[in-house]
Amino acid sequence: MSSRRSRQQNVSRITDDQIIELVSKLRQLLPEIRSRRSDKVSASKVLQETCNYIRNLHREVDDLSERLSELLATIDVDSPEAAIIRSLIT
Amino acid sequence: MRSSSSLKRDFLKKWVTSLQICSFSIRGTSVLERKKAIKLSADLAMASARKGTTCWSRALIANASKDDNNKVLIEHILGSHEYERSKQASIGSLMCNKRIRCKKILKKSFRMRRVPKKSCEPRMVIASSLAKRFIKKRTQFLRSLVPGGEFMDDISLMEETLDYIVSLRAQVDVMKTLVCATELVNCN
Repeated sequence: MSSRRSRQQNVSRITDDQIIELVSKLRQLLPEIRSRRSDKVSASKVLQETCNYIRNLHREVDDLSERLSELLATIDVDSPEAAIIRSLIT
Repeated sequence: MRSSSSLKRDFLKKWVTSLQICSFSIRGTSVLERKKAIKLSADLAMASARKGTTCWSRALIANASKDDNNKVLIEHILGSHEYERSKQASIGSLMCNKRIRCKKILKKSFRMRRVPKKSCEPRMVIASSLAKRFIKKRTQFLRSLVPGGEFMDDISLMEETLDYIVSLRAQVDVMKTLVCATELVNCN
């Protein structure tokens, strides 16, 4: 019985450390939290900032896709401008 | 983790290839249709650049594969061999679900056997349970944002989120550069 209890404690200890490490890695990725020097940022704050950041990135992708879509309407694929873009990419 | 510049190069190559494929079919379509095609090709190109090593990329491709209209695009970006494999990925996520349910049952059985602490202050207990519920809500929201998040356990979700954010950032950087360059060239 005692071995089961200690095994249970071991499992939770490993998980806690892993979680702390992952949360700190996530913090380093988030621009807003990184600028704040304070070390004491709660896990829920990190999660909240993560969700906001991902949503912002999604919005940026959406916006960039729209801009490119409008540009492609005006650029003729065979024009010299398109050739310049193609040479920049390949 | 791979260097971000090699990730960006991979993404750019795949994305441009898929845009060239798209360009024949999207000429003459509405701005909205074109935008959806561009966005889809960008998402698929980034997911494919992870080469099946992450759960979110497999989930993204599997979700896109559900729509038969995307078949041609996905096959071109992935290659038909990987396309067939991506269709199998939806079965893999079901297996993940089973694993999670087993873990939950195990966790519950541990909790039931634990001796309840009588020394905890009632205020602290309420505060910590509120905090836990708050975190749970945030985690649920995060699951809805990361592709395939519903099938992941907490640790995998965090790891996948890290990778997903790095990939999204690379995707946005490359897309921004291409769009700005195109706008500049268009202005002249």
